[in-house]
Amino acid sequence: MEYKENQAVTAEVEEQQPKVEAAELMNGSHALIRSLIAEGVDTIFGYPGGAIMPVYDAIYDYQDQVNHILVRHEQGAGHAAEGYARVSGRVGVCLVTSGPGATNLVTAIADAIIDSTPMVCVIGQVAMHLLGTDAFQETDVIGVTMPITKWNYQITSADEIPEVMAKAFYIAKSGRPGPVLIDITKNAQQEMMTKAFNYSCCQKLISYHPRLTPKREQVEKAAKLINEAKRPLLLFGHGVKISGAEKELLELVEKAGIPCASTLLGLSSVPVDHPLYAGWLGMHGNYGTNVLTNQCDVMIGVGLRFDDRVTGDVSRYAKQAKIIHIEIDPAEIDKVVKAEAPVVGDAKQALQMLLPMINPNDHSMWRNEFRKYEALEDEKITQRELAPTTEKIKMAEVIRMLSDKTKGEAVVVADVGQHQMMTARYYQFKKNNSFITSGGLGTMGYALPAAFGAKVGAPEREVVAIIGDGCFQMTIQELGTIAQSGLPVKAIILNNNYLGMVRQWQQLFFQKRYSFVELQNPDFITIAKGFGVDGHTCEQRADLNDSLDRLLQSDKPYLLEVIVEKEENVFPMVPTGACVADIRLE
Amino acid sequence: MTTYTICVFTENTIGILNKITILFTRRRINIESLTVSETERKGVSRFTIVIRHESREAVEKLVRQIRKVVEVLAVFGYLNDDIAYNEIALFKVATPSGAKPLDIETVNKVYKAWVVYWHLDYVVIEKTGTEEEIFDFFNYIKPHGILEFVRSGRVAVSKSPQSLVEYLPEAEWEYYL
Repeated sequence: MEYKENQAVTAEVEEQQPKVEAAELMNGSHALIRSLIAEGVDTIFGYPGGAIMPVYDAIYDYQDQVNHILVRHEQGAGHAAEGYARVSGRVGVCLVTSGPGATNLVTAIADAIIDSTPMVCVIGQVAMHLLGTDAFQETDVIGVTMPITKWNYQITSADEIPEVMAKAFYIAKSGRPGPVLIDITKNAQQEMMTKAFNYSCCQKLISYHPRLTPKREQVEKAAKLINEAKRPLLLFGHGVKISGAEKELLELVEKAGIPCASTLLGLSSVPVDHPLYAGWLGMHGNYGTNVLTNQCDVMIGVGLRFDDRVTGDVSRYAKQAKIIHIEIDPAEIDKVVKAEAPVVGDAKQALQMLLPMINPNDHSMWRNEFRKYEALEDEKITQRELAPTTEKIKMAEVIRMLSDKTKGEAVVVADVGQHQMMTARYYQFKKNNSFITSGGLGTMGYALPAAFGAKVGAPEREVVAIIGDGCFQMTIQELGTIAQSGLPVKAIILNNNYLGMVRQWQQLFFQKRYSFVELQNPDFITIAKGFGVDGHTCEQRADLNDSLDRLLQSDKPYLLEVIVEKEENVFPMVPTGACVADIRLE
Repeated sequence: MTTYTICVFTENTIGILNKITILFTRRRINIESLTVSETERKGVSRFTIVIRHESREAVEKLVRQIRKVVEVLAVFGYLNDDIAYNEIALFKVATPSGAKPLDIETVNKVYKAWVVYWHLDYVVIEKTGTEEEIFDFFNYIKPHGILEFVRSGRVAVSKSPQSLVEYLPEAEWEYYL
């Protein structure tokens, strides 16, 4: 309906202006930037180069309307766009050149598809007549990115630009969001359009119909299962954040008295101090949520894809439970676990439909079971982590102190490894949409650029990156981007001079044969200062409090390096191939 | 191993073949045959893909992944019993002087195959049928000396009374028919 109305509007405009004014004709590069502006894009993360130079020439004219941020490596542009998109719910935009510019972006695109992050990547390409000639900086980017984009397309004429860009944004943000790549040949950037620039946002495509409203009978079946359940457990994931269903989720669990547990990417959708919040799921998740996964009678999965880090051995995962799977992507239904009641649709709409059908309930006996496991985990692990007797600082105490100082309301961006798991375990999220991390792909080096992107997307919020010493050196150059922007991005390196997670696995599963995991690190603070970012190192527990204060109180970018215990392990742990109920406390 | 025939309707655009086949590659599923051509609707291509797989569940998951490709309009998975299907094969058979003459009557009446091109030294015979029928004929004609042999991929239509294009999303399609 909306689509038809829009079309009508477009038609009217065309009727009123039958003649194309010469001034309205523009080249492809201007059309591209005008398309971005029409789409409401305020920020572009990019890096110029030969095949995208006409577009960069056009940006020069639009600096008052769109903020271009020059990164230091294209991967940084990609992760910054992801951080921006994840915190704001808007589409992240990258602009890079052909060949190496595009291939450097590939990791971030792969990261965005597996973590359902909306992104439009515009890539320069050699001129059309040079395609397939091994021209300078020519890479078959369409071929390279086909398996890791939601959609990709090569533009070879200026006239295509408005329509293709509208389609790109619509596909990136609708349904299950994902990255879209637009490869644009240099001739298309340079040539003049033959018709007036006219942009209308895409509302509908013939071949692509994400289902938002679930089928009523599916919801009714789910409601029946929930109403009959004696030991229900609700699992929520990234889908809840993407559809903004946090309120509906809380209403459901409160009405039906259902304990709920989060995946890594679902964290912060339910405040940790909520009485129905049971904890975090999966390999390093909480004890009770994992063990009781195999004791619930009805499992309600909302906006998650049952990743192997959540399920452990699938053949022994929740076999006793009837599973309700609320999910926007039909390909996820039955992909990993068989759903007795699949509900295909947007999480928010599904929960809204479900709510009136649910009978109020309490399930207090069942809920209390989680408390028993919590107490055990608290005694065996949490207490020791938070009040350690070790000489060196432990990661958990840094995270918890940061959590207390920021009242659990900062945007926390974790990199990948032990520090990521510790952040997920010990930061006490109180505010929606506060945790950003590379979940599916596990991309080391994600956090620094993603935290920067998050700060750009939510300048009013405190953004703190938690980074390992290994990860930091993968995208360290983005300190330059941060320094140039002057945005007060805060970063904490938890430095144990090890690739800690790999070392932990080598210790536990490879007879302590530490194979290439120890790092000889540079002086991070001197490097940061070289980039113009202030910082300091904290080695003593007694200094931690003041150190975090200095970090948080700085009105500029700031780097805090904390030297932590060298060989600490993340527990609990479900070893690979083990069953969730066999989670180890030590 | 069960044979599955997957029919995919897509927009007829550059690169769509790749977008479909990489889904098979990633899941280590070999494509036994593949036929693509435009349908009676302009701009809509129809893929007929034959695979062999031991797990119906894996094939169903694959079908759902194919459906996710933006340019894909509809996907249908079939067992052999659900479809009428055929292939076409061309045989270039040597006919040197002095050799045993071809029994054209048997070729025509028993094997339902036709000579479509004559040359002094060979003939080209066209045989339409299932894989089995084509290989029966292959074995029959083999002693004459096969200079060249080629099979098309399978083409198939469903046995359901509806036309599959009726399942395609509504739009103002242009028809060839």
